[in-house]
Amino acid sequence: MVNYGGDEVSALVIDIGTSSLRAGYAGDDTPKAVIPTCYGFKSESIDEGDVSMAEPGEEGGANAKPEKKVKLYIGQSGPSVWRDGMQVAHPVQNSLITDFTPIPQLISHALTDVMRCNAAEHPVLVTEPAWNTVENRERMAEIMFEEFQVPAFYIANTGVLNAFAAGKGSALVIDVGHTTASVTPVVDGFVLRKGLSHSALPMLVQAHAKHLLTSPYHNRAGIQLLPHQLIANKQVPPALLHPVPPRFTLRDERVPGTTETWRAWYEAKETEEWIQSVAGVIDQGWNEQAAAQRGVRHYEFPTGYNFYFGAERLQVGEQYFTHSPQLVASNPNLPKTIPALISSALSACDPDLRQVLLGNIVLTGGGSLLSGFADRLSVELQRNVNHVYSPIFFPDNAIFSLLEISASLGTFHQLWISKEEWQEHGKAIVGQRCK
Amino acid sequence: MAGPTAADVRSILSLPSPSTPGLSQPRKPPGTTERARKPEGISRELYSLIGTSAPTLAAQLAKPRLKQKPNLGGGGRVKWEWRSFKNGARADSLRLSHWMKAGTDSEAEYQFAKYNVQSNVYVYSQDEYVRLLSDKEWTKEETDYLFELAREYDGRFYVVADRYEYGNGPPRTIEDIKDRYYSVCRKLVRNRPWAGDEASKAQLISSFQFDKDRELTRKKYVASLENRTPSQIAEEEALFIELKRLEQHERRFKKDREELLRTLAGIECGLPDVQAEEETFVGTQTETKKTKKKGVANNEPETPTSATASGTNVVLAQPVPRKQTAKSAAHDALHCIHRTEIPQTSTTTTKAAHQPVYLRSYKLPTPKSSAAPKIAQVMGELGVSHTRLVMPTRENCAQLESLLEAAAALVETKKQVDRIEHETMVTQERLGNRTSEGAENDMDVDEEGGDAEAVGEDGRGQSVVSTRSVRSNRPRKKSARSMSISSVDTTATGGLKRKRF
Repeated sequence: MVNYGGDEVSALVIDIGTSSLRAGYAGDDTPKAVIPTCYGFKSESIDEGDVSMAEPGEEGGANAKPEKKVKLYIGQSGPSVWRDGMQVAHPVQNSLITDFTPIPQLISHALTDVMRCNAAEHPVLVTEPAWNTVENRERMAEIMFEEFQVPAFYIANTGVLNAFAAGKGSALVIDVGHTTASVTPVVDGFVLRKGLSHSALPMLVQAHAKHLLTSPYHNRAGIQLLPHQLIANKQVPPALLHPVPPRFTLRDERVPGTTETWRAWYEAKETEEWIQSVAGVIDQGWNEQAAAQRGVRHYEFPTGYNFYFGAERLQVGEQYFTHSPQLVASNPNLPKTIPALISSALSACDPDLRQVLLGNIVLTGGGSLLSGFADRLSVELQRNVNHVYSPIFFPDNAIFSLLEISASLGTFHQLWISKEEWQEHGKAIVGQRCK
Repeated sequence: MAGPTAADVRSILSLPSPSTPGLSQPRKPPGTTERARKPEGISRELYSLIGTSAPTLAAQLAKPRLKQKPNLGGGGRVKWEWRSFKNGARADSLRLSHWMKAGTDSEAEYQFAKYNVQSNVYVYSQDEYVRLLSDKEWTKEETDYLFELAREYDGRFYVVADRYEYGNGPPRTIEDIKDRYYSVCRKLVRNRPWAGDEASKAQLISSFQFDKDRELTRKKYVASLENRTPSQIAEEEALFIELKRLEQHERRFKKDREELLRTLAGIECGLPDVQAEEETFVGTQTETKKTKKKGVANNEPETPTSATASGTNVVLAQPVPRKQTAKSAAHDALHCIHRTEIPQTSTTTTKAAHQPVYLRSYKLPTPKSSAAPKIAQVMGELGVSHTRLVMPTRENCAQLESLLEAAAALVETKKQVDRIEHETMVTQERLGNRTSEGAENDMDVDEEGGDAEAVGEDGRGQSVVSTRSVRSNRPRKKSARSMSISSVDTTATGGLKRKRF
């Protein structure tokens, strides 16, 4: 920390992403609390009163919210626990907070229940995407000041923080998240908003992967993405190259109480896990032979169905870089691929800056951890971009990284919006201070 | 003048006289006070090895200046306290807390506050704007907005241009923004009263210089550079390499030309960029001496002083033949130094003629090209490699040289013998023909011709070995040609033995 000119004031950092909310102390290298951003809820009208009274005791992560007659289930044992009639909602979409109602609960769960600290004693740094709206950041400041009584607050851009975490003032930050892939040019610690480009590419990749799994492929039938919460017992057949249909029994008593949103949430989660453990991308571009040479990988689903996935697992990552012509023909509004995002970001920047940005490429986000992603990206850059560029830099600890460093810098402490300033200037101070 | 003897020194220093006079005098009987006087900072083993013979070294070693060990907090525990502090760079009264060493002043100036540097952006009054800064492209409000942004982003124009959103004004490029900003600054500096001197004012104005058209042209050029196709880039690279090559050629040519000019006209010709290299310089001087001796050149002999000054250089670069004095001869003999004289082939001392240091084995004579294969064969039969000596001492080199000479002589002699032998054979045959029959002259002549040809061919086809064996066994003719190599060896070594000393 000494090298960074750090001065620890024990600030808290809250990084709210589409799939998870990370919270921790500034200056740590990993977040202390990682909880899913999505939450489960049940309308009180369905429940009887005594059930809701009994449940908070059983489930540690649950937090009741009586005034709206809606019960929220938050945290690691929130949506992932099966409950009769529980719905799942996503307050963050496309990296933007679309529904602020559960946000205070989520934050308080992370800070109070997981980290066991009092937000009123610590300055708080919150992150935002580069395309965050003014209303959103003002609302966030309001929540922090009014509900959590924080002494000081700052909202910082993830792109800038990622560039700083990689030790760079100017960088081209490529962030592949859960639902959004973005390319952010950062110059001297400021985001160039005109050069910013982002698309919902990861959602397409996930949809493609889900389609790949659930539809028949070569010699195997479509796979049922059934949650393990609904399976009473199963017999796992030996892992073979030719698929064997799974043998399992469903928990029939649970099936009627399962909601559509919960099922969709689970299927997305299962697909995501499959992508993370099995999928990859070929570093030199799609090639049948190369795909066949890469070998097979084994994956077992909750139903007991298991299979060695071959070339198909490598098609998943391909979606990040190229769209097949038939897909383009059928759907004109496809999200931009990573190379397209990069070139559109660069073309919007000043020609003088392009070399600087391409010399400092920072790759971050959970999606970028796909096996072979970085290699493929450097190949694409060499092929398509007519520039000299240097190797890609990675901030330590991919997603959360050293975001927090900036909140523990000595020179940063003059930027905090204090409670006093908040009370004096109101919402306008947020836009003024957090450029 | 004779210096003081060792005995004198000893008597002066009142040292005991050595038990055995000679070279190994510092040897002292062990176990005396000598060991007790071992200087500080020198290890015992080293001292017993070098003894007192390295006093200067010992003096240097006496005190090892080690870095002092850092005193980390005086050895005791340091108390840290969680204290609140006030950041001087903040306008409000926010108090954050951090860990501080107990005992430090908590109300001292916050150490990071000094990094809060405010950029000084020019401000102008309404009056100044009307008087100086009016521009039909820009309104006062938009200029204000621009200066506000410049202050906010500390003059980072890339960011200013990115965030520039002025209501319903025309779209501004970064060049427009910079142009306006710098022109306003220039005008303000020029027209405001200036406290310093004119030079600093001019310098400040020039730092605000901005040429919009030039900048636009440059941007266009940068863009066109980026839009090159790979083939264009490859072509450009190839051209660049070609250019470098040509340049190198030219440089080499120029250097050669200079070298030549210097050799011909001397250093005084006043070439603009002649580098007076030490080596060639000395060479030129020795050359002038020599040429003067011969009376060819009429250069002024102003060189000797400098030549003697760099005398060692002269010897190294161009060993001037000189007479060995008796003393140096004895010295040479003692140290096994053999001085060789370099044959001065030419009077010019160019770099090409310069004789660098060489290995003795490089200078072995090579046989004449016509006789070379035959000599090589002879050497091969002897089992001696004439190209490489395992131990090329001076004697061995001389031996090999004489051996090569002998072999060459042998081959030459053999050639002569062959010729003579052939001639006698022809003559004898002719004589025989004359005596037996005088009538069939014409036919005989033809036959002779045929015979001679046959012999000639035969001779050409013969190996060196066989011909030499012929020489040693002259009376027998054809039959002797199939002699074994062993006999050849004996003859050859016999011939050699004669030459050996």
